[in-house]
Amino acid sequence: MATYKEAPLATRPKTLDPAEYFNLSPDHRRAEEKRAALRAQLKRQYLQQLNNPHRKELIEDPALTRWTYARTNNNYFRPTAKTSLIGGLFGVLPLFVFYVVFKTDRDKREAKIKAGTYQRPYKLST
Amino acid sequence: MLKVLIPTIMLFPTIWLTSPKWLWTTTTAHSLLIALTSLTWLKWTSETGWTSANTYLATDPLSTPLLVLTCWLLPLMILASQNHINPGPISRQRTYIMLLTSLQTFLIMAFGATEIIMFYIMFEATLIPTLIIITRWGNQTERLNAGAYFLFYTLAGSLPLLVALLLLQQSAGTLSMLVLQYSQPLQLNPWGHTIWWAGCLIAFLVKMPLYGVHLWLPKAHVEAPVAGSMVLAAVLLKLGGYGMMRMMVMLDPLSKELAYPFIILALWGIIMTGSICLRQTDLKSLIAYSSVGHMGLVAGGILIQTPWGFSGAIILMIAHGLASSALFCLANTTYERTHSRTMVLARGLQVIFPLTAVWWFTANLANLALPPLPNLMGELMIITTLFSWSPWTILLTGLGTLITASYSLYMFLMSQRGPTPNHITGLQPFHTREHLLITLHLIPIILLVTKPELMWGWCY
Repeated sequence: MATYKEAPLATRPKTLDPAEYFNLSPDHRRAEEKRAALRAQLKRQYLQQLNNPHRKELIEDPALTRWTYARTNNNYFRPTAKTSLIGGLFGVLPLFVFYVVFKTDRDKREAKIKAGTYQRPYKLST
Repeated sequence: MLKVLIPTIMLFPTIWLTSPKWLWTTTTAHSLLIALTSLTWLKWTSETGWTSANTYLATDPLSTPLLVLTCWLLPLMILASQNHINPGPISRQRTYIMLLTSLQTFLIMAFGATEIIMFYIMFEATLIPTLIIITRWGNQTERLNAGAYFLFYTLAGSLPLLVALLLLQQSAGTLSMLVLQYSQPLQLNPWGHTIWWAGCLIAFLVKMPLYGVHLWLPKAHVEAPVAGSMVLAAVLLKLGGYGMMRMMVMLDPLSKELAYPFIILALWGIIMTGSICLRQTDLKSLIAYSSVGHMGLVAGGILIQTPWGFSGAIILMIAHGLASSALFCLANTTYERTHSRTMVLARGLQVIFPLTAVWWFTANLANLALPPLPNLMGELMIITTLFSWSPWTILLTGLGTLITASYSLYMFLMSQRGPTPNHITGLQPFHTREHLLITLHLIPIILLVTKPELMWGWCY
């Protein structure tokens, strides 16, 4: 450990950082030990369920349940100025823009047909 | 016509009188025989268009593919529901199959109707069994909300239709589809005529659904049990398309101006719903939104009123019905095993269910309109005719096709590829019944590649 030297352009990995191992306060050590104990408990719970030969159902993941609930029950939308602007820009404005585009294009074609100058570009049966 | 309708009605005594041991076998076999009988409709013997006619019911090249699809779907629905309904009490099982059969009867009479009021009554009648299926046999509490949205959206859209039809009946004297195209147009003031035009179409646009009024569809499709989702996606949406095609013949010349907003809504809906699909976490919700997108393309094709548009619309309706129903069946197989519709939960399934991965692959390819499948045929015809209508539509339809391909790929990769989570390697293997179900969906799609004339409608 004392003789490890980083490569010229690389940084020292976190696991070999001396500050991770030396000069740690006892509070920090105690907190880390508590967290490690909790993690080990959760892992033990999961592995017990995983390796149980009589298990027929899926292992429930509460984090997944919370995540899907949050994703699907969308109570997080609030109509503010920004969201209304985005909604109008993407939901309402394109409808009017396309109406104008299609109408002018087809009216021009209709005028050309009425004047007799429209050349049909394709021989489709539409 | 009666040779299919009477056996379907006789399915009711079959359901209630079979012994519990043989219930599912008998009903599946009976409905399969009805489906095979319905294939005889595909032989067109008449030059005028309407064949197998009696006073009230007839078939023509527009309704025949939809009728065959409806009849084909009943055995598939019964096959799909067998697993989750079987544990219940026997009378509840019989009630469930009876609901599916009554839905079938109403649908056959709706697609075969020659009188528009009969079509309207059957159109409304199909709401009741579907509502009961969704609200009674759905799996989450949201099913009540879903049923209410489904019922009231469709009812609110179709009451103006009733008024419009009665007005038409009074002026034309008849509402038979055989003669209505030759009748005098309605003499109303311009505003009245506009409202009458809207009243005729809004019901079907809500049913299709058009993008602005599509909110009932994700709810209903997700909360319904598998048979409900299948029949909703495959047939009930097509009722809207079929109704629109029937009504369009009498709605000229106003349709030239008034159709613009709806065509634009439909096309913009393809982009919007496709984008929503890319952000979905719920598998059935993704398939439901993809249905909205495909039906938007169908609505656009119908509202343009060209022969290619109508043909493309029918082809896409049939192909989408089969492909979407297959996807819902596949999603249900995942749901039955994991009891969750979350996509990230059941991922990497190719490793544990390799044959099913083939079905997922084919169904997703069908959904994204891969040649030579009929989905592409329908989409291409509609895109071409839209381009001929106005070249600028290619921006919307092209982008829509791209987004469709990307969400289909997303669905496939998310569910099949990638590392399998450790805790789902112990899932139940696939039953033959489930493989049979999916193959019975996919084989018609593949066979239709060889004879698409069956679906072309009047352009044959």
